[in-house]
Amino acid sequence: MFNDSVLNEIEGIKAKYPDRRSALLPSLYIAQREFGWLSHEAMQYVAKTLNLPEAEVRGTSSFYAMFKHQPIGRHLIQLCTNVSCMILGAERLADMLVQKYGLQPNSTSPDGRFSLVIMECIGACGTAPAMLVNTDFHDNLTEKRIEEILEGYK
Amino acid sequence: MITLTINEKDITLEKPVTVLEAARKAGIKIPTLCHHEALKPFGGCRLCIVEVERMPRLQTACTLLAADGMVVKTESDTISKVRRGILEFLLINHPLDCPYCDKAGECELQDLVNKYGPTTGRFKEEKRKVPESHKDQIFTRNMERCVVCTRCVRMCSDVQGASAISIIGRGSHSKMEPFSTESFKCEYCGNCLTVCPVGAILSRLYIHSFRPWQIDKEVETLCSYCGVGCSLVAQVRDDSIKRVIPKIGLGLNKGLLCSRGRFGYEYINSAERLKMPLVRKNGELKESTWSEALSIVAEKMLEIKNTHGGPAIAGLASPRCSNEDNYVFQKFMRLACGTNNIDSISRTGFAAAQKYFEDLLGQGITANIIEGLRNSETILVLGGDPSAINPVLGLAIREAARRGAKITVLGNAKGLERFKTFQVVPSVFKEADVLEALLTEIYNTRGLRNENPALDRGIRTLCEKAAAKSDMQEVRDLRNILLGSASTAVVLGMDLLQRSDGHKALFAVAGLIYLLEARLYLLSEKPNEQGVIDTGCAPDLLPGGRPLGIHEFRRKFEAAWDGVIPEKEGLTLLEIINDASEKRIKALYIMGENPVFNLPDKPFVRGALKSLDFIVVQDIFLTETAELADVVLPALGWTERTGTYTNLERRIQLQHKAVETPSGMEDWKIISEISSKMGYRMNYSDSKDVMAEIAEVSPLYRDLTYQEISKGNCLWPYNGEPLRGEISEAPAAVNITKEYKDDFYLAVEKPLFHSGTLSRRAPALLKIYPEPALKVGMETAKKLELKDGDRVQFFTQYGSKEAFVSTDESIKDNRVYYSNNFKNNGVLHLMSFNMDNVTKAPGLEGCEVRIKKI
Amino acid sequence: MEKILLKNIDNPNSSDIDEYIKAGGYRNLSKALSMQPKDILEEVKKSGLKGRGGAGFPTGMKWSFAIADPNLPKYLLCNADEGEPGTFKDRPILEKNPHLLIEGMVISGYVLGSENGYIYLRGEYPHAKEILNKALKQAYEKNYLGDNILGKGIKFHLTVYQGAGAYICGEETALIESIEGKKGQPRNKPPFPVNVGAWNKPTIVNNVETLANLPYIVEVGGEAYSKTGSKDCSGPKLFSVSGCVNNPGVFELPMGTSLKDIIYKYAGGIRGGKALKAVIPGGLSTPVLPADSIDCAMDFVSLPKAGSMLGSGAVIVMDESVCMVKVTHRALKFFEHESCGKCVPCREGTEWLRKILERIEEGQGREGDIELLSDIAGNVAGKTFCPLGDGAAGVVTGMLKHFKGEFEEKIRKV
Ligand SMILES: Cc1cc2nc3c(=O)[nH]c(=O)nc-3n(C[C@H](O)[C@H](O)[C@H](O)COP(=O)(O)O)c2cc1C
Ligand code: SF4
Ligand code: FES
Repeated sequence: MFNDSVLNEIEGIKAKYPDRRSALLPSLYIAQREFGWLSHEAMQYVAKTLNLPEAEVRGTSSFYAMFKHQPIGRHLIQLCTNVSCMILGAERLADMLVQKYGLQPNSTSPDGRFSLVIMECIGACGTAPAMLVNTDFHDNLTEKRIEEILEGYK
Repeated sequence: MITLTINEKDITLEKPVTVLEAARKAGIKIPTLCHHEALKPFGGCRLCIVEVERMPRLQTACTLLAADGMVVKTESDTISKVRRGILEFLLINHPLDCPYCDKAGECELQDLVNKYGPTTGRFKEEKRKVPESHKDQIFTRNMERCVVCTRCVRMCSDVQGASAISIIGRGSHSKMEPFSTESFKCEYCGNCLTVCPVGAILSRLYIHSFRPWQIDKEVETLCSYCGVGCSLVAQVRDDSIKRVIPKIGLGLNKGLLCSRGRFGYEYINSAERLKMPLVRKNGELKESTWSEALSIVAEKMLEIKNTHGGPAIAGLASPRCSNEDNYVFQKFMRLACGTNNIDSISRTGFAAAQKYFEDLLGQGITANIIEGLRNSETILVLGGDPSAINPVLGLAIREAARRGAKITVLGNAKGLERFKTFQVVPSVFKEADVLEALLTEIYNTRGLRNENPALDRGIRTLCEKAAAKSDMQEVRDLRNILLGSASTAVVLGMDLLQRSDGHKALFAVAGLIYLLEARLYLLSEKPNEQGVIDTGCAPDLLPGGRPLGIHEFRRKFEAAWDGVIPEKEGLTLLEIINDASEKRIKALYIMGENPVFNLPDKPFVRGALKSLDFIVVQDIFLTETAELADVVLPALGWTERTGTYTNLERRIQLQHKAVETPSGMEDWKIISEISSKMGYRMNYSDSKDVMAEIAEVSPLYRDLTYQEISKGNCLWPYNGEPLRGEISEAPAAVNITKEYKDDFYLAVEKPLFHSGTLSRRAPALLKIYPEPALKVGMETAKKLELKDGDRVQFFTQYGSKEAFVSTDESIKDNRVYYSNNFKNNGVLHLMSFNMDNVTKAPGLEGCEVRIKKI
Repeated sequence: MEKILLKNIDNPNSSDIDEYIKAGGYRNLSKALSMQPKDILEEVKKSGLKGRGGAGFPTGMKWSFAIADPNLPKYLLCNADEGEPGTFKDRPILEKNPHLLIEGMVISGYVLGSENGYIYLRGEYPHAKEILNKALKQAYEKNYLGDNILGKGIKFHLTVYQGAGAYICGEETALIESIEGKKGQPRNKPPFPVNVGAWNKPTIVNNVETLANLPYIVEVGGEAYSKTGSKDCSGPKLFSVSGCVNNPGVFELPMGTSLKDIIYKYAGGIRGGKALKAVIPGGLSTPVLPADSIDCAMDFVSLPKAGSMLGSGAVIVMDESVCMVKVTHRALKFFEHESCGKCVPCREGTEWLRKILERIEEGQGREGDIELLSDIAGNVAGKTFCPLGDGAAGVVTGMLKHFKGEFEEKIRKV
């Protein structure tokens, strides 16, 4: 279960909205931060904390692409391949991640270091191709730059 | 007033409705799929698309509100093309396994495609693959067939309030799943089955056993489980019930059912059913013939009557039997046997509570309609979980909560966990104190009503004395909620009165509903608890609730019945048991009841029954009580005979015969034959005939006919007048100074999925809830270091038992619960009782419990 | 043109409140609070400001609907979901000029009588979330937010709500569902959010850029504001330009700037000296324009005439090397992925279209596929619950209209 400081954090969030249910997405983010991903158990904790039905918590959670329902690697690479990035070569970059790091989309590298998610537009089209690693933006990507960038994530 | 034109037809509407409803009212059909009349408009399937003049886009009729001057077209080439397109979309991923699918024949998609659909498929790519799930005990889930109309999910959350399923994923990956992904672990109401338009969720009870069109007949009847009295449809083939379905709009349940009603029917086909009369010979029950068995009963009863007098005989009527059965039963007892010792198991709760309230507040005080709960501003729930005891009544409370009502709960109520707005959990034995404190608070703010002198006096005496008690903030909060409410309902479960001073709690409740002008609902565990009283199966009441003690009434009935009614009031249930143990009662005639299992202190009850000279049991199963009988007579069960039932709101409804059975006889018929053999002739040709007599003699059911009942809406008092007799003095409260010291307290679980003799023989319910567990709250679990699945032994002073532990967050106090619904695995025998001298209900005793992990 | 929305963003500390104040920030808030709300509303109406979220609905008109009922608490929701592919125009405001948005929202809250505002920020902007939260803290400290703003007894609270990766949550009713803690599936309209919105109360949803215009309108007045931009479409507009251009980025230009100028004058023309082939002018959901149609003013009136829409003003430029089948396929993959699943034509239609396009792209195209694509798109367009499905269908229809040959070629090559 969540520790007291997390419960307090959630209480604080609840207070900002007219209805406790609004704290659901923020609480799922918190659960994801605490446990790395949203297991059934983690979703149960959220349901219990907010007194919401478990199935609704899971249904809602599964609607949003950024909630992870499987364990992920230490670093999450979110590579955009939408049109602006695609026409500037994002697909080549995706291929390179497969070949060089064994990172199939929606999978985790065998060493558990990276997980890869192919993203829809991440709002960096002006400096395409782009990706997010965890919460850091990296843009104007080339194969070489990706290698350099990923060196920084152990 | 709104006038619009649909397909060149002018339609005038009183109040604004959707174009779809307006069209339907005018007999114009618009195809739909995601729409369901029990649910709110959704607008997802787009099949109901229509053209509306001056609106640029096509509109969905199910979501569009009809407006004055609107001109709507529901059919055109454009519209047909759209519908064809939509159906094509629905089919691209549909498995087209209709020959194999149980839904074929009653599948909305199949019908729609037949009417509007494409004839050839243009989809050449690969279909989505989702394996069918059989991981649930009751439902199969086939997500390839699903059309994502979300009707099931909306039913589950918006109507049932269980919220056990949801759509997982989004877009083309959407699929319906329960939280666990496998078992539904839900309330198993099956209402999702009602609304699924395709074969995506199916019941495993009848899987691949028949096609919907292979039904011989459908019979509209009533559920046999609880005091709500839901309507349902029994589908019959080869004289056997194949399936039970509700019909949207039918009955007070409007097409909703609970797990017992929908999946509990299979007991009727149980192999354990009694087929032939049994007669005890050389100490053993042996099959016999009807004529032999009936003669033995008549002879033996006469003999006892002649030797020891009528009062040496007692009878237990049954809240599971119909009004006709019970009416004939009491008449038999009074006139053939010469005794008023007639009572039923209802005395442990419903009958006791009702008598108490009627004595104080007048006859009919509990005649409030369930529907009215939906519109209450505040609902106070006491003494049990309505959602488990009377599930469909529980739905009305949940609906009220959704509409913004305040749901206040005293004690534990699992089914209202997400719906309650306020809860007070008194400690064990302190319920009456809390209620008295609440009454005092309300009295102090609002004063008396001065309409009921006896009650006013009682309240004043109590409250002035108790003035200092209300130091609880919770009580004051609750008072404020109640005082701020313009329409309050009190829903009372029977746990509150099963105390040796239970009447104190009842008095406080009576005071509350009086001062607050609240409506009272008594939860009723059996289908005809009200009917038992109405037909005169009480030691002090004749049919129609007419007091036996009033000479005039007795004379009237004697004239009508042509016989002599004993003058002296009879004994209540526990008094009968007691007198049996002391050998004052010699013969006991039991119809459809199982006191050995259903009363506390089994050794005592068993001993009492064993000391009788003669026991007759009429039942459909060889119950623990029937095993002790001298003669056992097989009766007919649900769907095997016709009769009327009176539900907890006092609605009189018809249960219909649907199948023929070779063995067994109607309860009333068995009794009338014995009665005739004993010299008091009874000559009813059928149950209708019995009802005709009831309608003649009972002032409450006056002029009632089966035909009238079939129309619905026969609410008590039907054409008759309730008896607003003199209100007697409030019975003096008996103070029992009892200190409760132990850590844990054993209580009887009233689970949603079981209700004893019947449900334990319903395979589906046994699959859902196969074995009782000791239910403990989180605090208790923590204190005893218990977790789910741990095995424990628990002890009371009367014995011990082993069980698995199951933790339950809704239990907020130190009670631990165990169910009394399983054969050879009850819990009442670990308790004793001490009769509440005012209500005559059993006060449970010896419930202090020790729990040891093993 | 003088920069209004992106003023000062070259200053590396532009997001700091002190820098913002130094550059004249929050002065317009003081001015606004000394005016009557209804007078400000008049100015907004006069300004002709149209929503920058895509639909171009007149902001003043939307507000006056919500104001009709003075007794109910109104919520002001800022749509910072910026999910339309190709769009990254709100991001510089959020990351570099957050106080402009805050100032705009406080003014709007004052006009609307709303005491609570929420910024619905897309989950993919974690950086912006930090900056916004810091900016909010500063604004609270300086009394630009809180229970007694600038000592005028005005109350307004602002909270950032983080989305979690669902494009549909940019649609205003889906956004409301999402902020209520549910799946982001659009609601039935009517009732419109201005009548029954978040938590069942009248609610205004406005785009980041729209709200960021407010301080300027207060500053210069509606009349003066309406003079910028083109006829019927006033004010400054942010254009995000991406794809095959030399100088991609966000440009603040008057409404109605020609598409040609945007590509060639501001974005530096086509990369590598290649020829222009096609432009998606308003974000991925708007129909493609072929190279010969770019002589067109970028506003809500002119683009529909040219066969497309202004949308979010996201210009995606494609040169001769870009395969249109591939772009269409990628676009449909996006729509399939983002379809909320509520309505049948969008849920099933996008999947089917994507599957066919995928096949064609992989060289498995069949005769009749083009007709099939066009027919399916026709069965989707206009039949869906919300405009997402229309967008998807429009992309296919637009591509087939202008680049049918490319599809045919791809199929013929089998
Ligand atoms: C599918 C879909 C996605 C949308 N995405 C966005 C978005 O990301 N940002 C936005 O501001 N508006 C978006 N909108 C428009 C909003 O529904 C709404 O019109 C807008 O937020 C209103 O603000 P405005 O009046 O300031 O433009 C979207 C609309 C649709 C139909
Ligand atoms: S068009 Fe339909 S399925 Fe698509 S996003 Fe809108 S409501 Fe959802
Ligand atoms: S019935 Fe109207 S959209 Fe489904």
